[in-house]
Amino acid sequence: MNELFGSSRAARRITSTLAWLCYLFLLVPSLIVIPISFGNPGQIEFPPRQLTLDLYRQFFTDPAWWGSMVQSLLVAVATTLLTLLLAVPAAYALARSRLPGRRGLQGLFMMPMLVPVIVLGLGLYLQFSSWGLLDTTAGIILAHIMLTTPYIMVSVLSGLKHSDIALETVAAIMGASRVTIFFRVVLPQLKAAIAVGALFAFLMSLDEVVVAYFLTGTQTMTLPVKMFSSIRWELTPVLAAVSTLLTVLSLLIALGIIALQRKTEASS
Amino acid sequence: MASSTSASDLGPGTALLLLAPLTVLMAAILLYPLGVTVWTSVNNGGFTLSAYADLAQSTLFLKVLRNTFEIAIGGTLMSLVIGYPVAMHLAAQPPTRRTAYLIMVMLPFWTSILVKSFALVAVFGNQGLVNQLLGFLSGGAIKLPMMFNRVGVILGMLNFLLPFMILSILGSLLSLDRRLILAAETMGAGPLRIFWRITLPLSMPGMIAGILINVTLSIGMYITPALLGGRQDMMVANLVDFYTRQTLDWTAASATAVVLLVLSGLLVALLGRVRGAAGLSEAGA
Amino acid sequence: MTVTTAPAMVELQGVSKRYADVDALHPVDLTIAKGEFVTLLGPSGSGKSTLLNLIAGMVAPSSGRIVIDGRDATTLPTNQRGLGMVFQNYALMPHMTVFENIAFPLQVRKVPKAEIRRRVGAVLDLIQLGHVANRRPRELSGGQQQRISLARCIVYNPALILMDEPLGALDKKLREQMQLEIKRLHAELGITMLYVTHDQDEALTMSDRIVLMNGGRIEQQGTPDTLYFRPETVFSAEFIGSSNLLAGTLEAGPDGAPVLRTALGTFPVPAPDRPIERGAKAMLLVRPENMTLQRGGDTVHVTGRIEDSILLGGVVRHFVRCADGSTIIVQELNQPGRVDAERGHEVAAGWLPQHGRLLPAPPAG
Repeated sequence: MNELFGSSRAARRITSTLAWLCYLFLLVPSLIVIPISFGNPGQIEFPPRQLTLDLYRQFFTDPAWWGSMVQSLLVAVATTLLTLLLAVPAAYALARSRLPGRRGLQGLFMMPMLVPVIVLGLGLYLQFSSWGLLDTTAGIILAHIMLTTPYIMVSVLSGLKHSDIALETVAAIMGASRVTIFFRVVLPQLKAAIAVGALFAFLMSLDEVVVAYFLTGTQTMTLPVKMFSSIRWELTPVLAAVSTLLTVLSLLIALGIIALQRKTEASS
Repeated sequence: MASSTSASDLGPGTALLLLAPLTVLMAAILLYPLGVTVWTSVNNGGFTLSAYADLAQSTLFLKVLRNTFEIAIGGTLMSLVIGYPVAMHLAAQPPTRRTAYLIMVMLPFWTSILVKSFALVAVFGNQGLVNQLLGFLSGGAIKLPMMFNRVGVILGMLNFLLPFMILSILGSLLSLDRRLILAAETMGAGPLRIFWRITLPLSMPGMIAGILINVTLSIGMYITPALLGGRQDMMVANLVDFYTRQTLDWTAASATAVVLLVLSGLLVALLGRVRGAAGLSEAGA
Repeated sequence: MTVTTAPAMVELQGVSKRYADVDALHPVDLTIAKGEFVTLLGPSGSGKSTLLNLIAGMVAPSSGRIVIDGRDATTLPTNQRGLGMVFQNYALMPHMTVFENIAFPLQVRKVPKAEIRRRVGAVLDLIQLGHVANRRPRELSGGQQQRISLARCIVYNPALILMDEPLGALDKKLREQMQLEIKRLHAELGITMLYVTHDQDEALTMSDRIVLMNGGRIEQQGTPDTLYFRPETVFSAEFIGSSNLLAGTLEAGPDGAPVLRTALGTFPVPAPDRPIERGAKAMLLVRPENMTLQRGGDTVHVTGRIEDSILLGGVVRHFVRCADGSTIIVQELNQPGRVDAERGHEVAAGWLPQHGRLLPAPPAG
């Protein structure tokens, strides 16, 4: 083995020890919530002294928790669908037209990724308070569409870059209309890229705290906002159950994205 | 230009039609609120920069600004020092094993920041795993306060920043030509010299990108200092929230937000230039 | 102990390399004398690069002993073997200038600064690239980069320089120029060189000795002339130069001298280097340039029809299709006023019996 240090055994051992400590530090906080979530409802325990499902029972019977979970899922699903509806055609137009200023537009669509969320949160708070959109589900969905647009953009644009333009040209030569080409030729090639973007957007919206914290109130509180105030003020063990559910969901989505990316890589 | 138009190109009319809805939405939900923020910061019954002048005089603001830089730069440097050997370890693995290790590095990236914050409290808090262990080993004599203070913020920050740093450096290390190291070895160079003269300088683009990404991400951090820090560890983002909700001083909140926007804008621009330069040099090689 | 005329620079004793369940190199004995230019020649996968990497210390041998300059180097780390190596992709440090690149091995050896400046200057003059000292490698052409990479090697006078297909990335013309340059440096500096290539012309041009490798074994070794004129196996004959091979059975002729009975006739053959049993399968090798398209005469010949004649500049190649479907190549010097036989015309391709060479038939499969 030729290492980056050359072949020094001592150097290798040191980096390897450091690396494993770091893997542990990165891994443990994401996973430790799982055993804690099966513990006693009384207090946060690790390792749990007895295994129960009490924390999950509490979570699913408390409308404050359960309701915010439903709200979050609702917002995330609506956000994902609406962002797809707006961003996929826009990405297609960016990739397949020679419109002057399309680079500027692309910059605009990517911008939410670069601006600190707290700034967006404040701006939307000021704007929505005068538009009467504070503490409304429509308001938070609008904000999340803006926040998730760049992620779907990146995915779909790279999908378009890898798709075969010649197929579209051939279809046009054979007399297919624009609409036919888009639905019969372009979209089928973009399926995986769109799915990756959608999963990303769903997860982003589901986990988003800062903007939601500014825009939602008691009527529209999402799960992350509920968690945020719970960690801040009471630190209840129910959090472990919520965290486990979220982590499992995130992992499933991550696996889905990785599988989809593998598939597109293999096919291209 | 016109002659290169192909059958697959959209006409300008169709393109505009497809782009219009998203453009309108982004103008209304992104540009407009940013404009409102800037406007609020300079409007007090007429144009004025007094909000910024007040900030410059405010001991709270200056202290928070110093906190922000201290935490962002300190966290980034620690992330660099820890992340570098980890990236080296990853780069030295055969591809299949590297993928497995990368999953461990990427896990925090996929986990909700709230889950991680909660878990960090459970691990490093006063009743947490580490302190239980320390207490058990020392018979109750040692208890390290590691949460709701600067240590807590840095721990949370590192957990969040490390994946970005590691991936960035790993990219540089993987594109490094291993034959250079073989060449140096045949010329008689030892491990330390190879590291200082070849590995380190050639991974500089990855390090710089990693540092800039880390600073950019940490400078706008809100959740971690709010949940894992104490009163003394407030950062700029927390100050925006404080002005907005506690003192209801929207002008000060907006001015603070604009300062943060400008700072991170500069960092993003710098990152873009570094990325561009790195891209060019790779293409030239 | 083996007795050699010149003291050995490298001695491999039963060295082999096995990866998982693949023998990359079967046990090999090889001695390279001081000052010698030895080429490892062979197709890819023949074990030549494995052999080079074993000597460089980049892989550890599965068995055997490696002695470099009188010192057992079997387990010595690469950086303590005192070698120089030239890589196909040059392996110049992209972040260092040409000067810094060449100075690097001297810095490793803690040579004083003034001395470094002097020696780097001297090798840059030697390769006539003094004017690029302050440039970065990527600003130079491929040929210049390879010369810098050579300079970086010779600047610290390693006892042995290993070259792994160093000219593989260059175009034909530059490659020929560099071959001469490397030969010149070898003659001037007297450094032992071990050169790996799959290009037979390169091996023939440059080497004192060629070690031909095949399937993880040494097929044959010797001077370029030996390998060309006295190949011992069909593989050697076909790998170096072009060849006509006639397969047949070895028999005793009317006068007791050996003859080979083939599908195209029975031909007298010279005695083989290693005895071949009467009645055994064997092959007769005749190089195309030793054949003539003849019009009568008493030399041995095969007959066939001219399939094509192609002009290669100084020589002409005729392809003669014989009765059994095989093609014989005849190469003649190109002369002004040359008249080729017409396509499809019957001709005789003849050779002098002493120009033929009898080889054992290759193992079946």
